[in-house]
Amino acid sequence: MHRLPIMEFFPKAMDKKPKVTLFIQCLVDAVWPQVAEAMVRVLQKLGLSLECPTDQTCCGQPAYNSGYRREACIAAKRFIEIFEGSEIIVSPSGSCVHMVRHHYPELFCDNPAWRQRAQRIAARIYEFTEFLVDVLGVEDVGAHFNGRITYHDSCQLLRGIGVKDQPRRLLRHVAGAEFVEMKNSDYCCGFGGSFAVKYPDISAAMVNDKVDHIIHSGARAVIGCDTGCLLNIAGAVSRRSLSIQTLHIAQLLAKDYL
Amino acid sequence: MPDISPETYVKVAKKGIANPVLQKALAGLQDRFGRGTAEAYRRLPEGPELRFKAHDIREKAIAHLDALLEILAAKIRANGGVVYFAQTAKEAVNYCITVARQNNVHRVVKGKSMVTEEIGLNPALQAAGIEPVETDLGEYIIQLAGEKPSHIIAPAVHKNRHDIADLFVKKTGIRRTTDPSELTQAARKALREKFLSADMGTSGVNIACAETGHITTVSNEGNIRMATTLPRIHIAFMGMERIVARLDEYEILLRLLCRGAAAQTMATYVSYISGPRRPGESDGPDEFHLVILDNGRSRILADPQFKEILYCIRCAACLNVCPVYGKIGGHAYGFAYSGPVGAVVTPLLTGINRAKDLCLGETLCGACMDACPVAIDLPRLLLALREKLAYGDENWQVKPASRMEGLAYKAWSYLIGHRYIYERFLKMAGVGQKLFPRSGTMIRRLPPPLAGWTQSRNFQPLAKETFIEGWRNKKAISNTP
Amino acid sequence: MSTPDQEYFLRRIRRALNSKPDFSHHGSPLFAHAPSPEELQILDNHRRRTAADRNALLSQLMEAALPIHLCVIPVPDLIAAATAIATLAEAKKPEWSAVKNIIVWRHPLIDLMELKAPLNRLKIPLHRTEPMDPAADPTQDRIEREHLRSAVTASYIGVTSADLCMADTATLVLRNRPGQPRSVALVPSIHIAVITLDQIISDMKELFALLRWDDRFRSEGLSNYMAFISGPSKTADIEATMVHGAHGPREVYLYVVSGK
Repeated sequence: MHRLPIMEFFPKAMDKKPKVTLFIQCLVDAVWPQVAEAMVRVLQKLGLSLECPTDQTCCGQPAYNSGYRREACIAAKRFIEIFEGSEIIVSPSGSCVHMVRHHYPELFCDNPAWRQRAQRIAARIYEFTEFLVDVLGVEDVGAHFNGRITYHDSCQLLRGIGVKDQPRRLLRHVAGAEFVEMKNSDYCCGFGGSFAVKYPDISAAMVNDKVDHIIHSGARAVIGCDTGCLLNIAGAVSRRSLSIQTLHIAQLLAKDYL
Repeated sequence: MPDISPETYVKVAKKGIANPVLQKALAGLQDRFGRGTAEAYRRLPEGPELRFKAHDIREKAIAHLDALLEILAAKIRANGGVVYFAQTAKEAVNYCITVARQNNVHRVVKGKSMVTEEIGLNPALQAAGIEPVETDLGEYIIQLAGEKPSHIIAPAVHKNRHDIADLFVKKTGIRRTTDPSELTQAARKALREKFLSADMGTSGVNIACAETGHITTVSNEGNIRMATTLPRIHIAFMGMERIVARLDEYEILLRLLCRGAAAQTMATYVSYISGPRRPGESDGPDEFHLVILDNGRSRILADPQFKEILYCIRCAACLNVCPVYGKIGGHAYGFAYSGPVGAVVTPLLTGINRAKDLCLGETLCGACMDACPVAIDLPRLLLALREKLAYGDENWQVKPASRMEGLAYKAWSYLIGHRYIYERFLKMAGVGQKLFPRSGTMIRRLPPPLAGWTQSRNFQPLAKETFIEGWRNKKAISNTP
Repeated sequence: MSTPDQEYFLRRIRRALNSKPDFSHHGSPLFAHAPSPEELQILDNHRRRTAADRNALLSQLMEAALPIHLCVIPVPDLIAAATAIATLAEAKKPEWSAVKNIIVWRHPLIDLMELKAPLNRLKIPLHRTEPMDPAADPTQDRIEREHLRSAVTASYIGVTSADLCMADTATLVLRNRPGQPRSVALVPSIHIAVITLDQIISDMKELFALLRWDDRFRSEGLSNYMAFISGPSKTADIEATMVHGAHGPREVYLYVVSGK
């Protein structure tokens, strides 16, 4: 994991609001589109104009994490071609941002031309909460929720792109919500892409620990910033017939929940 | 020969998950050491950033490994020690047995050393009619039980006090007690006899320093000092990579080692050994042998992608934070080295194909890299191993692990290259998923190859319409979002 | 003085590294040939240490000693140290036998303590280690070694000094010398060390700076065996429960003669 400094082209207080290009994680697109819709509502409420390339598909992370570098390269080139003209790219998924920001430049380590293009994109992509807090300087979007909430740190979000505090700040500003930390919030939930399918026993043991910690926190809802983890947690919560809500932070901030 | 069984990863992992004693022990271990180590790094005067400096120190040492080993060997010989360079596990073991036979050794007291586990020293000594006695309390316990260590630093972490009490009653005939201090006292007494009667002591090497010509051993119990002080002969086994050039570099590594291994600022004992006792000294061994081991390491060294794993100083910090190790325990890894470091080292030392589950059976969460005192990028190394398994590799004699999967990713790369076809595919899948049993809105059971997911989780079905479709449709209605 | 196994081994490493044999490393940047600015500063601080600095180090040492169960006891002089040791010897029971024996290093500081008199009053035999004749024949050598072995295993207390003590981790530094065998600080159940205030240094950086560049320490180097000892032996191998006295001493006492 080569950690590039985030090149902040955009100062915190901006006179002119930039045009935001949406990069929608494939899981969100296909399985949980409500997450993207909620993100759109939050960004629109902040007065941003949005665009969304409709030929986007996947950043290539699944192939990359399974060792299929060549296929990941194909996905990366396509992604770069689609998003190259964008001023600022925002995604509701920390792992995809990590892929683009850190792994793209590394994928093209022996291809200077593509590497440069990858680096340019890497400097312009932000995860949703990172964009709100670090770029826009927004911590309160006027959301409210009744009850106790807790937060799960997704691995690539936390350790890949170093986003830890931003979602917590946003959660602390949700009116009516009592934010509590669960035990081992930074432990992997056991998703790991194809890991969850290939190593079901280990993955199940991990996600059940995660759910136990959520139960123990007494929270009504667990909030996360990466849909992979959330599908995993929601799947286990549902299998155990628990009444805990599993929400993407965008859903909470857009008040898109029951 | 050493037991090597990385093939049974999944099977043994399952057993570990189902073992409540192990689960409790692993949770306790990670709560204590995982968190403690992070805190110990934060309290370093230089901060956790010191790990990156240590990474550079290790990188430099490995880049000059030939020179450093040559200097170390020359200095130890000048001090009256004997240095043997063992290309293979067999050579290392045979050397030890030859020295033992020459000196009429019947009993060997061992300080904890994973490298002797790697080369299978204990079974080889036994086969040669020599009694090896593990003296680290944890190692002693598992030797009595006839098991393998399940953690690099805390080898008996998988046993609770009741297991140990039963074991001691059965094997040593003591009165039953479950009090850890009484159990420790019983082992102390039994092992004191062994220390005083052994003819040979063995140890590993934590870090050697070329500038001074010393190896160092680190322990809290004092067993390594006993094993290297009381018997007539001391043989130290050292993985060839465990060396740094200078004392000031060593200082940084030792501080990080103690923090990484046990969240300590300093282990109780650190010994610097450069040779046997000198004339006029009335204790210490008459003979000191240093066995420097390759056993596949030079092959790793030759590969720029994998060289970084040789920076490892075997502190086990990565085990103490790994969420996978925290569930499955160390035995699943099937070799001396467990946890994230085992997942990288074992395939490289024993064969990537046979240890494929070690390469694939992690989530790449990255906790290990943050815990590593020398900041090794373990996720990157796992990815590099996965790449070998994906495409095969002549150099490492790897065959592609799954042709089907390879084809699937080829198809996938085509699919994601064409949004229109991709959407049609999702639509078809959306229709197909109606066949699967549900509980509420969630899918309860999926067919292979996705069956693993629904083994203990429900699956959120595909949405009727993708977000992008919705966006396109809305845009078609009004041109401003 | 290379061997065939070494030649082959190093050749493989060189091939892996894609490098040529390097015989010029004596002048290479791998090693330092003069102290770094940081080390010069450390050595300078060491030389300029005032009485107040030394007392501050003692306080730091005592604080670091607490969590690792090392008992640090400042005493005004050696007489007081000897009295304290005798009191301790009277109070403690031997672990392995009913008889009390004490073994002490042959060391100027320990010699000056004159432990013999107070221990005589308690009827506790005192063994003092002696350097062996380096030219002793093998039989004599074996006899003397066995003599030490039986004395050290019979003793419940071993008394040593130390070369230095690092305050920040409460670590004693002992170098091996004839007459100062390492087993005295290892085999008896209780280890007592006696040092003077000026033997306390700050940390490992200072220790290594002294060992590398200060003539008083450099000449002897690390010796063939140097030990760091930080408190009593311990283990947490059974359910992560801390137990003191795994193999080494169960208790360690450090008397610091502060001269006041």
